[in-house]
Amino acid sequence: MLQYQRFLLVSLFVLVTNVFLSDGQCISFAKNVCKSELGKFVHDGNYNATILSEGETAEVYKTFFDGQAYRIAVCKVEGLPRILFKVIDSEGEVLFDNSEHDYTTTWDFGVETTQLLTIQLNVLEKDEESLEKEAGCVAILFGIRAESENRKRR
Amino acid sequence: MKKLFCQPLSFLACLIFLAFGLLSCGTEGKKSKSNEEQQIVESVKVDEKFMDEFNKSKLIFYSLPSPLETAMLIKRAGANYNEALLNPLESLNRYTTNRQMALNLGVYSADLSYTSLFDQTQSSIKYMGNAKKLAASLGVIDAIEESTIRRLEENMNNRDVVLDIVSETFMNSNAYLTENNRPEIAVTVLVGGWIEGLYLATKLTNGSMENNKRLIERIIYQKLSLYTVINLLEEYKGNEDADYLLVKMNELKVIFDQVKIVNTSKVEAHTDAEKHLTTIKADSDTYMSKDVFEKLLEKVEEIRMEFVS
Repeated sequence: MLQYQRFLLVSLFVLVTNVFLSDGQCISFAKNVCKSELGKFVHDGNYNATILSEGETAEVYKTFFDGQAYRIAVCKVEGLPRILFKVIDSEGEVLFDNSEHDYTTTWDFGVETTQLLTIQLNVLEKDEESLEKEAGCVAILFGIRAESENRKRR
Repeated sequence: MKKLFCQPLSFLACLIFLAFGLLSCGTEGKKSKSNEEQQIVESVKVDEKFMDEFNKSKLIFYSLPSPLETAMLIKRAGANYNEALLNPLESLNRYTTNRQMALNLGVYSADLSYTSLFDQTQSSIKYMGNAKKLAASLGVIDAIEESTIRRLEENMNNRDVVLDIVSETFMNSNAYLTENNRPEIAVTVLVGGWIEGLYLATKLTNGSMENNKRLIERIIYQKLSLYTVINLLEEYKGNEDADYLLVKMNELKVIFDQVKIVNTSKVEAHTDAEKHLTTIKADSDTYMSKDVFEKLLEKVEEIRMEFVS
């Protein structure tokens, strides 16, 4: 009986700890859901994920090198509304806006001259008046086309 | 207490209820304002613009070229493989402080990416072993499991799988540290990896600006990445390790400031909706004098040697 009680206590501790640890952790989401969106592009290994709620904005600064082909994958948990993402140059000019492409979550980019660009993400709001806001994991991953893929395309 | 133990199912139900109850009050899940908060918002006149900005505050990420991306840039620039440039495997035992371990987790990850890109699988396995040990010493759980190393061994001839493994192990460490409230350590790993990539690139020029102009161009454009590195470190100003790295990066900046990158035309984008592809174009000029190049080689080597010593 004592062993049974101990087992139960340990199980409960693990259960409760896991419930709390999962709070704020988006790694599983990024690995298991978002990474596959990169398709045959190799994930660069950088981890950009966080919890965002409706109406919140995040910006990612990244240098895109000429000659490399990139895929950007923007992922969100199911409960969140759509995400608007834009690619902006250092002068603030919008170079790509996914709202013009049905809020696509993946897009490929090539640069002919190396550029430091900003990717702006905005979680849209279901209802601007509502005080209840959904929140959840949002990840942005960058994929680079592997050399073998480049060779196949030539 | 005895009664509680005798009713494990009720106790379990209470704990689950309590856990989920508390969870719903946290930052994750639905963010709802309590009635009290609602009353405050309704009854107090606030500067609406300020509140709007406050509620929609921006979160900023600085994405450095990862060790894998840097290794790809080096390879595509036509550089060769030179094992003598890597941080020796036996240096591992020297790294005892968190800063040393984090920096060299980045360094070994960059070396691992370089060996993998050049199909040096035996070396890749050894460098992954070192990265695994440093990650474990930093308390990163399951960043690199034994099964990952076995998978690497089994796929020695499949570069795509090897690169996928390298990328995933790097993300695991980075994510674990970030999400377990140790972002300064995660940033230190990134900086270690970036400096090692820059060190490999500069050494592979063999001290000449003429041998491989493509590689020189890659080095010049690391000026943009350096701004990202400095901005990233500025976020952790006040942390001893971040302050140390900021000093080093600012020393590098003094030299990179003398490197010129100028966009000579407006940046333009051409989107092919069918191919889901946007091509970004701009004309630019770059310039780095021989003197600046030599100073850069010297400084990068000095910083890298300090990191690995």
